[in-house]
Amino acid sequence: MIRVHKLVKEYEGKRVVDSVSFNVDEGEVFGLLGPNGAGKTTTMEMMEGLRTPDSGSITIDGLDGIRQREQVKGIIGVQLQSTALFDHLKVREILQLYGSFYPRMQSLEALLTSFDLKEKESDLVKHLSGGQRQRLAIALAVVHDPKVIFLDEPTTGLDPKARRGLWDIILRLKQEGRTVFLSTHYMEEAEQLCDRVAIMDSGTIIDLNTPAGLIRQLASDSVVEFMMEDVDEKELRELEGIKEIRLGDGFEVCLLTDDLRMTLRRLIPLADEKGWTLQGLRTRTATLEDVFIERTGKRLRES
Amino acid sequence: MKAYWQLTKAQLLLFARNKNTFIWSLFLPVFMMVALGTLLGDSGGQMQLTAAVADEDHSAVSSEMVKELKKTSGLSIKEVDASLGLRQVKAGDVQLLIRLKDGLGKRVAQVKAKERAGSAELIQIYVDQSNPAASQIGTQVIQQWLNEYNQKLVHFQPAVKAKKIHVQSRPLEYIDFLVPGILSLMIMSNNLNGVAATIASWRERGILRRMQGTPLRASTFIAGQITARILLNGLQALAVLLVAYFIYDVHVYGSWIGLIAFILLGTLTFMAIGFIIASLSRTPESAAPIAGLVSFPMIFVGGIFFPVRDLPGILQPLVKAIPIGYLTDALRGIMNEGAGILQLWVPAAVLSAWLIVSFAVAAWSFRWDVK
Repeated sequence: MIRVHKLVKEYEGKRVVDSVSFNVDEGEVFGLLGPNGAGKTTTMEMMEGLRTPDSGSITIDGLDGIRQREQVKGIIGVQLQSTALFDHLKVREILQLYGSFYPRMQSLEALLTSFDLKEKESDLVKHLSGGQRQRLAIALAVVHDPKVIFLDEPTTGLDPKARRGLWDIILRLKQEGRTVFLSTHYMEEAEQLCDRVAIMDSGTIIDLNTPAGLIRQLASDSVVEFMMEDVDEKELRELEGIKEIRLGDGFEVCLLTDDLRMTLRRLIPLADEKGWTLQGLRTRTATLEDVFIERTGKRLRES
Repeated sequence: MKAYWQLTKAQLLLFARNKNTFIWSLFLPVFMMVALGTLLGDSGGQMQLTAAVADEDHSAVSSEMVKELKKTSGLSIKEVDASLGLRQVKAGDVQLLIRLKDGLGKRVAQVKAKERAGSAELIQIYVDQSNPAASQIGTQVIQQWLNEYNQKLVHFQPAVKAKKIHVQSRPLEYIDFLVPGILSLMIMSNNLNGVAATIASWRERGILRRMQGTPLRASTFIAGQITARILLNGLQALAVLLVAYFIYDVHVYGSWIGLIAFILLGTLTFMAIGFIIASLSRTPESAAPIAGLVSFPMIFVGGIFFPVRDLPGILQPLVKAIPIGYLTDALRGIMNEGAGILQLWVPAAVLSAWLIVSFAVAAWSFRWDVK
């Protein structure tokens, strides 16, 4: 459905997007995962026809994304990061307005119902909550029943409940047979929604796979986390199964292991022997976040 | 076409729901008019013309005439010699020079004694045509006065009497001068400042960029803006004119079509300048001050509250270069003097030139996004 080949964009001599290539299949939810400043938005805006790449090519549904960008705009729907809308228009009015930009639009009633905005149809945009506003932004992206939808960090800044509501909507868009291209810096979101995920950092794609595939590639599959004072990294490193040790701010310690049972079996006696208190000790399976840290040495977001 | 109507409708709804629109574009002009009209209108605020009188006859008749002229309302008279008077007219210190030529007294005496009939041009009126309002009104006042004087002189008994209905000859007051100025000010500030601030803010907030992500064309977007603003300005102008008519009896003597044409021309010109400012300014915070910097001086040199002629000579080239003065002149010409479009070809041409150039620059510099 989408083919991106060796895309490059420079700003002031700096390569913000550096030879990015990938394909997106019809009907899949494709995630672009990366920290702020990785080049996600710039990549998407080039695909949406809002910016012209310095070199490379984009093909969307057989159309040239650079030379035929006006036609492309007719078959894609976009939701931009932190979309600003006309605050003093009502929900119904703004849907009609954006619908008028396309040759044909979906039924207004159907849109209002499926995005759970029926009760709010006569409210001004400025009186909507964050979640309602974001649902409206996505409704505006699909007013013309597009084949491909671009969502740039659609759930950033939403509370967990609103975020889950939005996930349901995105999964429904997929069920309707649309191709969804999504950028996010929430691991959980990528794991829940995406068929495939591309990890982007400093303008390049460093890995591309299914979420499960990415996690499987990790040398270690489990994580032991606790807090302690005066960390003795050398002692910890000698524990069985340890692949990597990460020290967070404060007293956080994170051990990545490929043999959780043995690591724990050795850790507890060691702590007793040395008189360490392991506060908040817990274990979990590795997530995309761990993949990301392993591949880039960075956290996805500062939290 | 669908997008054009929807954009126009949306912009009108935004105007209607924005309190600032009403405060700045309806309440303020009306308030300004009422405040200035009341303050300046009542304090003997007829449009005062200053006329220089050169009495070259030095007869009893001519000095009697000078006395009569001094009693005429709306005229203040300075007695000078002809050459000084002419210089004063040229400099704009007085609006007209009335020259009572030698032989006037003799001639009047002959007519009184029925020795001679007919008329002779023994009174000359010098006016500066570059100040059309003053010269026209001045000439009218003198002609009317002279007419009455002549009728008295020959004991003229009119066979048919017409009831005088003061329409054209109602003496023009400051408020008549002020109303077209306020219309002009309103057109400038609504469009120049309004467009600059709105578009820059929409650009900064990404509203324009979101629209760029649709097949909508820039020309359709701009056409919607233009239509909505023309409707808004038309409505405001009507409101100001109605208040002016009912409270101050201010009439539009000229053609409504001409008035509407100039309101349109002004709206488009200042909108185009607003679009340019929106493109030039990097942030919405800088758009408003830049727009203010451009429009604020125009309020003072645009002949809005006082005639352009009263400005120091050093500013005159500036006044001639910028569009506001031409718009004010044209509106004033139509409303106060009933000037037709043919007489207003200069302001029409200058405003059109401004419109074409600014529109070209606006189209060239228009950007959907910030970078």
